[in-house]
Amino acid sequence: MPADAGGATPILSVRSLSKRFEGLLALGGVSFDVEKGQIFGVIGPNGAGKTTLFSCIVGSLVPTSGEILFRKRRIGGLPNDAVVRRGVVRTHQIVRPFREMTVAQNVSVGALFGRGKRRGAEAASRVAAVLETTGLSHRAGALAGTLTIGELKRLEIARALATEPEVICLDEVMGGLNPSEILAAMALIRTIRDAGVTVLMIEHHIHAVVGVSDRILVLNFGEKIAEGTPREVVADPDVVAAYLGDETNPLLEECVS
Amino acid sequence: MQELREVLLNTLLAAGLYATMSYGLAVIYGVMRIINLAHAGLMMLAAYVTFALYTRYEMDPFLSLVVVIPLFFLLGVLLHRFVVRRLPRTTGTPTMQSLLLLFGVWLVLQNLAYALWTGDTQSILTPYTLKSVTLLGVRVGVPNLLVFGVSALSLLALNFVLKRTYLGRAIRAVTQNRDAALLSGIDADRLSAITFGAGTAFAAIAGTSLSTLYAFTPDFGRSFLLKAFCIIVLGGMESFTGVAAGALVLAFLENALAAWTPIPTSFQDAISFTLLVLVLVAVPQGLPGIARKVARWRASS
Repeated sequence: MPADAGGATPILSVRSLSKRFEGLLALGGVSFDVEKGQIFGVIGPNGAGKTTLFSCIVGSLVPTSGEILFRKRRIGGLPNDAVVRRGVVRTHQIVRPFREMTVAQNVSVGALFGRGKRRGAEAASRVAAVLETTGLSHRAGALAGTLTIGELKRLEIARALATEPEVICLDEVMGGLNPSEILAAMALIRTIRDAGVTVLMIEHHIHAVVGVSDRILVLNFGEKIAEGTPREVVADPDVVAAYLGDETNPLLEECVS
Repeated sequence: MQELREVLLNTLLAAGLYATMSYGLAVIYGVMRIINLAHAGLMMLAAYVTFALYTRYEMDPFLSLVVVIPLFFLLGVLLHRFVVRRLPRTTGTPTMQSLLLLFGVWLVLQNLAYALWTGDTQSILTPYTLKSVTLLGVRVGVPNLLVFGVSALSLLALNFVLKRTYLGRAIRAVTQNRDAALLSGIDADRLSAITFGAGTAFAAIAGTSLSTLYAFTPDFGRSFLLKAFCIIVLGGMESFTGVAAGALVLAFLENALAAWTPIPTSFQDAISFTLLVLVLVAVPQGLPGIARKVARWRASS
């Protein structure tokens, strides 16, 4: 799905977004648009402001300045739960399960109180569908505290999906996964997109981002240094210098080919 | 044998009341990470409201709960709306601001009671206040039995709400992981208001119950707040079965020490205080911590 600049109105629009922490400028005037149905990758070195960006979008942080528009409505500065009920949700790099609930109960919290606000049988079928998508059906009755890290990452995605989002922001869902799990995660991200959910993803695993994204935004020291298709971005000299290091990185050629 | 029966029965009766007053604190702590220091003031105020309803409208203290519970739920919601909500949000340990603010609310309530009812000691004397019945060969005061009944009903109602309703699912979710609960779309502000209302209503149930057992002044409630602290520290702050266990342990110690040692009953408050200090020093995680240690020890041997 190619990104068509100037096409339909973007589902998510970030305008001159800045976030300052006591003197440290974590985000300095970042702007970009995400089209409905895209997989939008966000990359950059550690401390580039990627997670801060997600936190501002979903309302766990209040932006210092700038605007975040979801379907042309301002969501910047709204509390976290209100943003989720409007249809924008995130997962955390460090998983946050309800440890004393089962996997199914964890997911049901999203179905009950998210955008869908499902009740009774509707909630149950939503939970079942999401568990199926994320490959957790066989663990439905297990206590969340007993899951492996890979399963916990999927549970984090499952609970977010259960809220019936229009936009899901995935923060390093592939961290700590082995190669076959990463392939499964890439397939899952495509499945989520094919179900009509727009995906924003922060990912360190460059192969995965390049392989799955329609468009990529590159941050460095809180500023946007590039944005475009994966092919454009990995060929950008600024990106190569700032983030990817070695200009003649054979991995990159492998990525784009 | 007779003495053991007496101690166990009295333990059970006292534990019901202790659990009721502790759950009010525990549910607020779980959802909002706030220690409601105004709890004692709210118990005291409920005792006076019960007293006023009894003297002015001859309303039976236990029957007056029908008025007191909704009234205090509303009071709690308003307290949250206009006072507690203004506190900075916190996810970790309770902030100094929240402690001071709620301590201030307690002082205001105390002075309100002095202004309205003076500092004179008051008590509620119903026709059954001094009556007692024999149960399993033990003489038990009628008010004590009624208080136990009220406590048992409130705890059953709370348990039903927590385990069987969507509201309860939301409360448990926020208690277990506030961030994740917000990310699931739970309306934390509304839930906090309801929780503060419910916690206040539980303080009121305890206050009305206490007013049928003890005389009171505007300073009333301090020693019971201390007991509630002891119980939630013992019970592990966030565990609901833990709180029930904590209430039983404290009630048993109080009754057992009174029956089998020369410690005078006037020292009862010292027991909870000593226990509080001992638990904080020796097992800061409370009973759930001990349970986990035992489980690990049994698994390894």
